[in-house]
Order: sequence, then structure tokens, then C-alpha cells
Amino acid sequence: MKRIGVFVCHCGINIAGTVDVERVAREAEKMPGVAFAMDYIYMCSEPGQSLVREKIKEEKLDAVIIAACSPNLHESTFRAAAEEAGLNPWQCEIANIREQCSWIHSDRKKATEKAIKIVGTIVGKTRLNESLEPISVSITKKALVIGGGIAGIQAALDIADSGYPVILVEKDSSIGGHMAQLSETFPTLDCSQCILTPKMVSAGKHPNITLMTYSEVEEVSGYVGNFKVKIRRKATSVDWSTCTGCGLCTEKCPAKVPSEFDRGLTTRGAIYVPFPQAVPNKPVIDRDNCIYYKTGKCRLCEKVCEIGAIDFDQKDLIIEEEIGAIITATGYETLPIADLPHYGAGEVPDVIDGLAFERILSASGPTTGEVRRPSDGMIPKEVVFVQCAGSRDPERFKPYCSKICCMYTTKHALLYKHRVHDGQPYVFYIDIRTGGKGYEEFYHNAEEEEGIVYLRGKVAKIFRDGDKTVVWGTDTLTGRNIEIAADLVVLATAIVPTESTADLANKLRIQTGPNGFLSEAHPKLRPVECINAGFFIAGVGQGPKDIPETVAQASGAACKVISLFSRDHLEQDPAVAWVDEDLCSGCRTCISVCPYDAREFDEEKEIVTVNEALCEGCGSCVAACSCGATQQRNLSDSQIKSMVTASLGGE
Amino acid sequence: MAKVAYYPGCALNERSSHLDRSARDATEKLGFELDELESWTCCGAVPPVSKERIMNLIAPSRILKDVRDSGRDMLITICDFCYNTLKRTNFSIRTDDIIRKRVNAFLADDTPTRTYLEEEKSPWQEYEGEVKVVHLMEYLRDELGYAVITEKLKRSLKGLKIAPYYGCVMLRPFDEIQLDNPENPTIMEDFVRALEAEPVKYPYRTECCGSYLSVSSPDASTRLCYRILSSAMKNGADAIVVSCPLCFYNLDSRQKVVLDAYPDFKTIPVFYFTQLLSLALGVGMDRQGFERHYVDVSSALEKIGNSGERDKA
Repeated sequence: MKRIGVFVCHCGINIAGTVDVERVAREAEKMPGVAFAMDYIYMCSEPGQSLVREKIKEEKLDAVIIAACSPNLHESTFRAAAEEAGLNPWQCEIANIREQCSWIHSDRKKATEKAIKIVGTIVGKTRLNESLEPISVSITKKALVIGGGIAGIQAALDIADSGYPVILVEKDSSIGGHMAQLSETFPTLDCSQCILTPKMVSAGKHPNITLMTYSEVEEVSGYVGNFKVKIRRKATSVDWSTCTGCGLCTEKCPAKVPSEFDRGLTTRGAIYVPFPQAVPNKPVIDRDNCIYYKTGKCRLCEKVCEIGAIDFDQKDLIIEEEIGAIITATGYETLPIADLPHYGAGEVPDVIDGLAFERILSASGPTTGEVRRPSDGMIPKEVVFVQCAGSRDPERFKPYCSKICCMYTTKHALLYKHRVHDGQPYVFYIDIRTGGKGYEEFYHNAEEEEGIVYLRGKVAKIFRDGDKTVVWGTDTLTGRNIEIAADLVVLATAIVPTESTADLANKLRIQTGPNGFLSEAHPKLRPVECINAGFFIAGVGQGPKDIPETVAQASGAACKVISLFSRDHLEQDPAVAWVDEDLCSGCRTCISVCPYDAREFDEEKEIVTVNEALCEGCGSCVAACSCGATQQRNLSDSQIKSMVTASLGGE
Repeated sequence: MAKVAYYPGCALNERSSHLDRSARDATEKLGFELDELESWTCCGAVPPVSKERIMNLIAPSRILKDVRDSGRDMLITICDFCYNTLKRTNFSIRTDDIIRKRVNAFLADDTPTRTYLEEEKSPWQEYEGEVKVVHLMEYLRDELGYAVITEKLKRSLKGLKIAPYYGCVMLRPFDEIQLDNPENPTIMEDFVRALEAEPVKYPYRTECCGSYLSVSSPDASTRLCYRILSSAMKNGADAIVVSCPLCFYNLDSRQKVVLDAYPDFKTIPVFYFTQLLSLALGVGMDRQGFERHYVDVSSALEKIGNSGERDKA
């Protein structure tokens, strides 16, 4: 019989405070198969680990059980220690007597009894444990970054700089994202485009980056290190390989479409480049708005294009790529003003959102930086900024804080005041949140020195009265209702994930949270990884955040990918399902229950096989298998029977 | 002619009988009859606002249970307060088990116990919110369809600019009423369009008229009415249209006080939606009760004149 050693940890008073650890060790010693048992104050400490190593040799142990905290925390620590002492790592097991026992009970006697039973079940399992070897999987050292905003650009550049190829997919025709729309950035007021465009150019020119703009991810299959990805390159109707980007077609196009980039403040043609610094600087035809596609006549762009790059018959292309890791950086949109009926439902022309005001302030915007309102081009003398428009409103809109609005609204009010010296900005706020380096000082200066009036309260209603836009609100510090006949109102609308996020998350099989943002594996300790191996996230798609935080997260995600690619093989846990070929009837029930697509039907043998690289060892197939052909390594039926017997007090 | 159960409520029985009469005239022209409940009591008007959870729900529940017991599943009201009270009572009964049980315990007390014992099959059945409460305007929009009204017009109201006034309780609280978006509603504007008149959109259409403050602090109500009425006029309205008797009282009768308080103020006629409807469907002026209005409505009626008369069957 196996010689098993049991090591019971006190974890200071975390375990020993509730459980009589010495008694657990004494009782363990009596269990069948246990050759040695002891307790120690901190098993995870270096002396604790060397104790395990020594005892394995001294007592000639074949397996060890550490009765301590959850296997999530220290299983790998102790398996490494066991391996150092010459044991197979899968001969080391954890009995969780902390999270599942001492932390949740107060009765010392009963808790001790329970701890003994927990140890007993693991002894029952360990007696039958097999020695396993990790499954080795090769890695395709090529990354896919989805989303070409600042997060995607930064992540792609970091991975490319360390020598690995990257495909950067962006659904619009140019990379740059929302940051390209911004005027100046808080708290230093440096020009957004000036700091972004060098990065865009680098991403466009980098030998290791393949830009796929005007493209979308269609399908993802496979597993960490070995994904197969299908990317749809949407028809641009322009042959980009010959187009010189001269811009003649965009100038001559007779169609007038509200410009998405300028938030509808200007128009663009149906063939267009979203903004002058676009990367790549090549036009696309928006077929929904093109006169030729709608009426069959026009083709003016074709006539003016000297090199004949216009191709009305171009079709979408599906490109298949093999990828090792995927970073999702899908970014954000803002809640449409049309969704805010009390703020005019988008029908009041001088009620705009923060991104539109960025365009008005931008030197490359529709007014070349002069503050003029949309309705009649007048320079507004009274401007009301409304924060939390849709944020922090769990009953009607979004429960969360959009995080960046306090700072960008302060910036807006400040820039407005710098351009219109005799103008008066008002800011309605719930709380001012300025957590960030230099942020509080920035706000303080705006409030104390720049004459911006901050009013603490929410705005109830906004409507148009003649050429004025009337704002009704409350100042909760004075308890008075306030009415301002403003010339312009800027709403800090709630930040929401992009519309395609949910659909993409489904295709990738990664998780989203209650508000639709992408979920990280652990809110503190794994902030850039998804639960599913090989997927990483960055930017506002994961939750509202400002530029410095986005860039840091993107570099973090890139770093995770680089560390993954630095190995030649991935080692995966071999404690997964396997099929006894003699018993399998080929009924395929297991295929339908497997959440990881890890089971395949072998047509020749008429049985089901397991793709060990995909199997996560969840056990669904084992439960579903009607003939007992499917078993899980080191959690076989006989092991479970042995564990149940032990937990019921039998032998 | 199809009959739909109808609860008039106190105001329509007395002070606002012209609202009741014009509604009956109009619906008859549209091919259905407002079938007044055989017996009914006060609905309680404002009680849903009070803190008491049960007592205020009993009278409206009794009305609704009677409708259910008479084998009908829909009840029309016109007064916004009745609508609000009945609909919210229904909501509480449907969504709160404890309220439903307690209210039904009171309702059970109403009925002489003897009748249950004598009859083989107990007629007693808990009221579970089965009756659908609809506002007449809601019925016109959802059950009949505004298009049908336009089809049956005898006198188009073309040329008349009408400012709908929603008041407070017709749309709120949205979770319970679910009639239209309380911040940006369209049901009355669409109604006005169905009469071929032009709706006037003005910012004060969903603001408070002062409601019962008319009694306790009339000055506040006067100020609010002044703002609502002048905003409508500033946006070009020839007349205001309302559905609530209290809104009507505040916006029409109060104009006398508004005139004293604000020298720049000019009066504007106020109509019930049913008056405009029955007029447009060909009912005579004499049946509208215009003599009971404080503000003379002839300025608005002149805009339609006889030019809108049509000979449609």
C-alpha cells in the first residue's frame, strides 16, 4: 500500500483558532494508508515546505496531503515542493480545512470533526491517485488584437516590439479610436492627436504588425496557443493596394452623410476618410449612403480617380489566421442623448455630448477650435455642463460611475473659459471625483482661479425656449432650485461598452458583467486576463477608465501575451477526462454536454475522443456518460466512492 | 353597439359633467358605448400617495372586483386621478402577495357570509388584478386606433394649434402606469393629429399645475398655471387640451386669478379632449357645456369655423 504523509497547517490562528490541528494530525495517522502525520504553524513558509521535502525522503512517502487553505492558493507551491523531493506532483493533494471549515464555523469541536472528515476524504482519493505527466501543447506565437483605439494600438506595439507578429483588427477604416477625436487631454492639456498620431503611424509601419482595418472578427475556435480565427475584411469598394490616398474622390462625392467622427456636426461624403490623419489614409465607400448603390447612377468617384482604384464589385473577404493569444480592446460608446427624454431626447440642437464638445474644441474640428454652438454658430456666453447624464442613476439608466467625466468636464469648462473670456461656465455635479495624479490640483485650479461655477445637484429638465436652452436644476447645498437660460448645454453622458461587445464576447466565449463590460479573471490580481486561458482584455471595454490607465492596462495585457509566447510549449493540467474505448458506445451524449468543445466523434472507430488541450476537467461528460466509458484522471468512480465512504465515516 | 365598462368617478358626475357627456357622445359616434357601472363608490382619488398601505386600496379594489364579477375584463376611466388610483391599486394587487391577501380579507367581509353558505358553489373568488384599467385616450389609441377617428371625422380641426397638457398623474409613476414616456410623451400629440389639428410642443406640457395646492396655497398654483399657459401661447397655441378635471379647473377657472396677478397675461381657451373629439365627430356645440368654461372658447372655434365641415357618412 501507498505510504501517505499528512501535514496539517495552523495558518497562525486562521485554522488553529477553530480547529484542533493536533488532533486532526493524530486522527489522520490512524487512517488506512497514512504512514506519517504532523502539524506545523505555517506550512507554506520556506521551513514548512522543506519539512515536507525532508519527510518525503525520511519516511519514504509515496504521496502527501497538505491540510491547509484552498488549492487555488498553494496547490502549485506544494506540488513543486513534492516534485523537488522526487515525487510525481499529482501525488500531492490539498485538503481544504480553512475556507471550507475553520473560516465558516465557530464550534471548535464540530469544526475539528469536520476537518478530520475532509482529510479522510482526501486520503481516500490519494490512495488511488495515479502519477501523471503534464500535457504539452505547442504555441503559435502570433497575437490578435481586436480594437484599434489607444488600448489596441499600445498592446499591438508592445507585442510587436518584442519580436512577435501581431494582427490588429479594427472595424472602422482607420485606427485611432475615440482618442483621435479628443481636443486636449487632462490634466496636462497636451493635444490628444499630437500624442496619439505618432503611435498610429508606428502601428501602421511596424514590420511585425498587420493592420486589418474595416474588418471584424467572424469566428474563433481552438484553445490557448492554438486559436483559429476567421476575420471578415469588409469590402471597401476601393483597391487599397493602388489607391494613393490623394483624396480627390472624397472631395467630389455628392452625398452628404453626418460625420461620425465629428459627432454629426459636419458631413462627409459616402466615399470618405474619417479624418485627415487616418491610418491607413485610404477611403472606403459607405454603401448604405452611396448614391450609386442606392439608385444605380453616379459613379463620380470612379470618374475622378486617375488610377482606377474604385471597385464597386469588391466583395467581403474571409481571412483565416492561426493565433496564439487574443487581446480584446473594444472600447466604448456614450449613451445616446436620444435615450435621455428629460434632457431633450436629442431634439434640442444646442444640447450636445462631451465628445461633440471635444470636436468643437479641437483645432482640427468643424470650427477649428472656436467655440460656436451647433444651432446658429453663435459664440455661447453661458454654457451649462451636466455631469452624470445617465450615470449613477440605477433606477432609470446606469448604476455605475463613468469615472472620467468629472475630469473631462472640468477640462471642458476650463478650455471654454480660455477661448471665451467673458463666458460663464456652470457645472452641475453629484460629487467631484479626482482620483489620479495631478487631477485634484487641476480641478482645484479650475474652481478657484478660473471662475467656473460648480453647482452640486442634478439637472431635472432641459428644454429649448426661443434661442435659449433652459436648464432646470437644484443646488442641494443652498437647497434652491436653479434655472439657467443657457446658450449651450454639454452632457457628460454615461460611458457604455460598444454595441458589438456582447456579440464579440459570445464568439470568443469570454465573459461580460451586468453592465455589458468585459469581465476580468480577478478584479485585483488578474485584471488583464479573462477566465478562459489565452484571452486578455484592455481599455474601456473592461470598464470606464482614462487614457493613462488604458495605456497601462494595454501594456499589462501585452506583457501577459509576451510571457506566454516566451515559452516553446504550454504545460496543461493532465487531470482531464479520458475515454475507455472498449466501453464507449458512441452515443455522443458527452459531445452535447461539453462546454469547451473538447470532445470529437471518431467516425472510423465510432467512439468519442477527448481533445486534452481543450478539456478543462469540469466532469460534465463523466456525469453524462451512461456506460461509464468516460472517466476523469485522478477523480475516477472508484476514487469518488472511496471519498464518499470516508466522508460517511466508513473505511 | 359594443359596450365597455365605464367608471366615471365623482368629478364627472358633478362639476365636470360636460367631460362625461362629451365622452359618451363621442364614443357613441365611434361605435361603442361607455357602460356605466351599476353601482360605484369614490375611488379614493389621492390615497396611493399616502403612507397607509391597505385601507386606501379597498374602495378601488371593490370597484374592480365588481367589474370582474360582472364578467368583464376591462374598465375605462377618463379622469386622470381615477385612472391613476385604479391602475396603481391593480398593480399592487398583482405584484404584492401580502397586499392582495389583506385587501381580499376586507372585500370578503363586505359580502354577507350567509350567501356563501346557502349556495352550493361559493361565488367568492379573490380579486387578483384581472381587470385591465384603461384611460379613454389609451382605449382610443390601442383598442380602437387613432386612424379610425380620422376616418370618421365630420369636422376637421385643421388650422387649430392645440397644446396638450399632461399634468402629473396620467403618466406617473411610469413603472406602474406604463402609458407613455413621462419625460417625453406623445399620446396626446398623436391624438391631436388624429383630429387633423396641429399639436404644439412646449416645455411645460408635463410640469405640475399645482393640483390640490389650488386649495391650500393658491398663489403657488397661480404661478405654475401662469407659466404653463404663457409657455403654450408663446409657442403658438390657440387652445390647451387636457384630460383631467383638476387640470381643467386649474388651467381654466384659475385664469381669472392669473389675470389679476400678471397684467401681461392673455387668456387662452381650455378644452377637454373629449370635447374636441365629439366636435370633430359632428356632435353639436350645444352639447359641449362650453357655458361652464371660464375662458370663452369661441376664439378657438372660429379658427375651425364651418370650413372644416365635411359630408362623410
